[in-house]
Formats: sequence, C-alpha cells, structure tokens
Amino acid sequence: MTELILTVDDLRVRYGRVEAVRGVTFEAAPGSLVTLVGANGAGKSSIINAVSGMVRPRGGRITFEGRDITRTPAHRLVASGLVQVPEGRQILGTLTVEENLQLGSPGRRGIAEVYQRFPVLAERRRLQAGSLSGGEQQMLAIGRALVTRPRLILLDEPSMGLAPRVVDEVFGVIGEIRASGTTVVLVEQNARRALRAADHGYVLAGGEIVHSGPAAELLDDDRVVQAYLGVET
Amino acid sequence: MDIQQLLNGLFIGSIYALFAIGFTLVFGVLDRLNLAHPAVFTVAAFVGIELVEVGGLSIWAALPVVFVVGGLLGLVIERVAFRPLKGRPDAHFAGLISSIALAGMFIALLQWRYGPDTKRFPAESFPETTYKVLGAQVTGVQVAILLITVVLAVGLHLLVGRTRLGRGMRATAENPTAARVVGINVDRVSATTLAISSALGAVAGALFAMNVNSAQLGMGSAIELKGLAVIVVGGMASLPGALVGGLLLGLAEVFTVQYIGSSWRDLVAFGLLFLILVARPQGLFGTRKVREV
Repeated sequence: MTELILTVDDLRVRYGRVEAVRGVTFEAAPGSLVTLVGANGAGKSSIINAVSGMVRPRGGRITFEGRDITRTPAHRLVASGLVQVPEGRQILGTLTVEENLQLGSPGRRGIAEVYQRFPVLAERRRLQAGSLSGGEQQMLAIGRALVTRPRLILLDEPSMGLAPRVVDEVFGVIGEIRASGTTVVLVEQNARRALRAADHGYVLAGGEIVHSGPAAELLDDDRVVQAYLGVET
Repeated sequence: MDIQQLLNGLFIGSIYALFAIGFTLVFGVLDRLNLAHPAVFTVAAFVGIELVEVGGLSIWAALPVVFVVGGLLGLVIERVAFRPLKGRPDAHFAGLISSIALAGMFIALLQWRYGPDTKRFPAESFPETTYKVLGAQVTGVQVAILLITVVLAVGLHLLVGRTRLGRGMRATAENPTAARVVGINVDRVSATTLAISSALGAVAGALFAMNVNSAQLGMGSAIELKGLAVIVVGGMASLPGALVGGLLLGLAEVFTVQYIGSSWRDLVAFGLLFLILVARPQGLFGTRKVREV
C-alpha cells in the first residue's frame, strides 16, 4: 500500500463551548479525490480549516506526507505543499489579479502556468480582483492556490453561489487538477455532484462521520441518499 | 505670500507628516491604533541627543541609529502590546489600552534616565551655514527635515506598492484571514509594519528635537492629537493623506502664529481640520469603502 498523503485521526475542533468537530478520522491516498459532504454546520469547513492550519484543533492528530502537522501554522503548510481554497473565495479585491497570484508565490513560472490554464485571468491581470465576476474570482482563488504548486489542495465549497454553467467549469478544473497528480480534498454541500467526482466519500453530520466508503457506493446506498443527499432534482 | 513662513510651515509640517505616516500605517495595515507611537517619538528625541552628546556622533550619523532604535521599539510594541491580545474579541480596545500602558512605561523610563528637565543638543551640534531660498533663510537642518521626509515617504510608498512585503501588508490590511490562507505570515507582517511605523516616528522625533533644539517628556502628547487629527483629515489609513494632512497642519499653524497670534494657533489649525472634515467626511484621500473582514 502506498503511503497516505493525509491522515486525520480523532480530530476535535471547538469554538468556545461549541464542539464543531467531534473525533473525525479520515485519510487521503496520493493522487486521489476525497470528498467530505454533509449539511450546513456539519463541521466540514472546520475540518478543512484545521487541516490547513487556520484553526488550532482541540485534539487529535493530522499528518501530511508522514509528518505531524497538527499545530503547524498555515503559512508554513503553504510553503510545504498543502494549500486551501477557502469558502467564499476570499480573494483580495483591492489587489490586482496578478498581485493576488503573487501572494501565493513570487515565482513567474507558476503564474505563467496559471495564466495558461485560465486565459481569462491573463486578460484581466492588471484589474482589481474585486471587479471580476463570481466565476472568475473562483478561478482566481483556485489559481492562487495552484501557483504554490501544491501536492494537496483543500477546496471548501468551490461551487457556492455560482451559476450552473460556472459550476460545471469549476468541476472541470477540479478534474484537471486531480488528473495532474495533485491530491484533492473537496468539501461540498452539492453532495451528489461531489461524490460523482470523488474516489472516496465521507458523510458528516453533527461534527461526526456517519458514513464513509467509495464514492460510487455511497451514491448507491439508499440510507445515505435518503438521509443526506435528498431527492435527485 | 510670505515665503519664509511658507517654508517654516513646510518644515514643521514635514515632521507632522512623518509622524502621521507611521501612525496611519499601523492603523491601515493592522487596524489598530498604536498609542505608543507618540512615546517612540519622545524616546527618539532623547536618544538622538544622547547619541550626539555622549556618543559623539554628528546629528546626521545619529539619525540612522535613531531609525534602527525606533524599529526595535516597534518590535517590542508588537510583542508586548498587541500580539498577546490578538485573539480576543475586544482586541481593538485592548490593544489601545495596552499601547497606552506601554507608552507610559517608555516615558517613565525616560524620566528615570534623563530626569524631568528639557534636554538640548550640545553647542555646535548644528551646521552654521544657512541657505537663501527665494529670499528666505533656511538652515541645513530644515533642508534635511524636508528631504528626509520626502525620501522616507517615497520609500514607504514604493515598499507598499511594489514589493512582496508591501503586497503582504496590503493583503493583511484588506483581509487578514485571506492573507493567512494564501501563506502570508501575518504575525511577521504585523511585526514588520510596527517596526517600520516606529522607525518613521522615531526619525520624526529626532528631527523635531533638532528643529527646536530641545526634547521634553511631554513632547509626545503634544504631537499625539495632531497626528490623530492628521490621519483623520487625510483619510484614515491613507499614506498620501497623512503626508498632505501633516503639511497642511504645519502651514496652518505657522500662518496663524504669523498673522493672528500664537495663542490662536491650535484653535485655527484644528478649526481648519474640522472644516475639512465637514466638507469631506471621508477625509482628503479617504474612500467610503468599509473594511472587509
């Protein structure tokens, strides 16, 4: 068996007296696409934020490429190949598109690659990022993560608030990222869509994992579909 | 127009501007009001005099040393007054109070070391030569005040606009969480910002002491309100605004003293600033955009 790129063991996150994540354990194999799905407030974003070093876990252990990163701050993780694309995109609207990319990495080469993948960003490189459309901002947020040449990318609700056509585009990009060998952990409310794209899925409720398995099996499991995925529309 | 008074206004205004630029830098990037800034201004004046009097440095050689001392004080301020409180929900107010406390300690240390009396540079510290500019007389120190302010302001402008550190500062100013997500070490940006701010405030303090050849324990509180007024009038968090606001305040003061009377100085100067705010509530260079966090 190949070494796991990410392991999360008995992770606990609390905010004051609210326990958002109650002992979550999951893992990702190199080059795989793993998804965490569940309703709002299930603890998905808290898990992502703990893994990426944005939030300090209350308990548990996280390893990345075999090293313990449970208490490593975000800026060190970004430098060592683990990066997050946050919920709500969090682009810096007062900086130009290019400056946003330069924040991720000062290297010209990585930025040139991102421009190749997203020609629309190259066209708008001198504009303030705040003037981009929602879809373009999402591409910028993903591009800003890719310039760091990550080996593991955490995507938090990348389809949120986007038009259906743009959601297709975002999932297309996620497929490409994964095809290029980068491991992806995807958090989505659009669970059906996420599970279709993923190798492995974890269903969260109330800060705990309630189902897990190969994504295709979860999609076929009536209990999961009825309780968590809702009726196909 | 009285050229001599115009120049005098620009010289004193430059010092206000330099002080206010440092003040507003921390406000703009870190969203904190650092009320230890006036204490750094005061400490730097005394340190500058000691470097010349005891250290035997020329006033010009003392300035870079003061710059570095200011930077170190900035690091202390960040570590002691701001970083321990950063996670608190009331971090703004807490930082305000702790920076006032630290300022009090700085001033107490000054008083312990130098006593309560006014200190002056030793005789013959200043170059004798004066220059004729458009019929007005200016001293070497005055020319230096203007040049140093311009160089530091332009340097800071380039730093913020063109460098990696500057991008990190602007990213932190707009959204610290987003800055962290993309790999910026926000703690280091905060420390660097306070160091740069305090270095500028320190140079302003040393120049002020040179300009009037005196340093007093109360000099910081005298400039504190002016600095606050300048950053409000310039537009909160606007560096060009702080520069222009500082120069305007200097000019307003000098012309009031010249044409109305010295006891009217603060009334007219602050009255003018008040009028500017009534006409332009966001300040000269401010925008109405609310901080996004």
